[in-house]
Amino acid sequence: MIAIIDYGVGNLASVQNAFRKVGFPSLITSEPEQILKADKVVLPGVGSFADGMDSLHQMGLTEVIYEVVKKEIPLLGICLGMQMLFSTSEEAGLHRGMELIPGKVRRFQLDSSYKVPHMGWNTIRIAGSSRLFHDVYPGSYVYFVHSFYTEPEDPQVKAAISDYGIEFTCAVEKGNIFGTQFHPEKSGEVGLKILRNFGELKA
Amino acid sequence: MTIYPAIDLKDGQCVRLVQGKLTNQTVYSSAPADVARRFQQQGARWLHIVDLDGAFTGTPANLKAIEAIADAVTIPFQVGGGLRRISDVEQMLQAGASRVIIGTRAVEGPDFIKQLLDEFGNERIVLGLDARDGKVAVQGWVETVEMTAIELGKQMQQLGIKTAVYTDVSRDGLLSGPNLEAIRQVAINTGLSIIASGGISSVEHINALRDMEADGVVGAIIGKALYEGKLTMAQALAAAKTKK
Repeated sequence: MIAIIDYGVGNLASVQNAFRKVGFPSLITSEPEQILKADKVVLPGVGSFADGMDSLHQMGLTEVIYEVVKKEIPLLGICLGMQMLFSTSEEAGLHRGMELIPGKVRRFQLDSSYKVPHMGWNTIRIAGSSRLFHDVYPGSYVYFVHSFYTEPEDPQVKAAISDYGIEFTCAVEKGNIFGTQFHPEKSGEVGLKILRNFGELKA
Repeated sequence: MTIYPAIDLKDGQCVRLVQGKLTNQTVYSSAPADVARRFQQQGARWLHIVDLDGAFTGTPANLKAIEAIADAVTIPFQVGGGLRRISDVEQMLQAGASRVIIGTRAVEGPDFIKQLLDEFGNERIVLGLDARDGKVAVQGWVETVEMTAIELGKQMQQLGIKTAVYTDVSRDGLLSGPNLEAIRQVAINTGLSIIASGGISSVEHINALRDMEADGVVGAIIGKALYEGKLTMAQALAAAKTKK
């Protein structure tokens, strides 16, 4: 069972729906017990970094996520869910994240020919050793909606990169911690392949 | 440029109208979710969904069909028609829409749009710019108001709107080709990213729109031509991609 963490933001049904399409039952939940019992955990998210972190703290879910990582249950952060895995974000001030992946979340500073948020389909380049992108073609298109991007300290954790005015990290992998800046649940067949890969991971 | 296959919903069915007239209706499928799934399989990266009952009555009426579409696909889609209240917009986003299109309510003054932009941000709110002879058409295109599409577009751009669906009502459902010069003028003069709609039915039409990318034309909505087999999704996608 895959646990999709519900901390009061966004449309989680689309994530659940996508997992169902590739044959993985999932549960939308904020119950620590159910999250820790799951064999995979997904941290989705839309909205602002500070609001997201506040909600996780208030619901006692950061501790649960640390426990998930400690138990080596594969964890996938999507969009804001990926950003919150990082140390800090400069969205609306400076905010502390969960510090599971050392690095920063930064705002796009681009010339006016690039609209922010970066919204739409874009191509990705994939690091060879990635488990999340196993059998995904380099140059595949995936769907993004974001104004901030992650900058990991350790280049080894970069699982995929993309270009939008600058080159940025659009997916990370560190042990059993995974993150995608794009929305695999909205990325058609490529997104489904990525979710299937996650579902099939052996912890 | 992005191709947006259109699914127009009436009484839960997938239909096409001609020039937006209810008396001129063809039912293409009673299972819109199957249509959506097929468009995704054919390579579509976005869907454009119109709640026609909503557009005419001012109250969303095809939520079940839209939820079924959200279940059927894993690509983003935008929805317009009858979204006149904040709660309607919220419900539609909750149902799985990536963006909502606001037409009639944008004409009634800037407050509603301001509120929506504050609440949901400009990546989720798209302006529906429907025009007949350059004048803005509202209420399911039954009425026109004394404001040009360019005036409304400019005003909304200043409020923070980024993207608009520009529909030439007189061309819709006729396969007669888009009003290219009008589309270009709207894109240039409003500074908005324009998704063109109405009459787009051939590779040539798509090529012509694609050549206006630098002016701000970012997408083409295709309806009847796909349903009638006048254009295939593969042809449309290829035409939107190829550079001269």
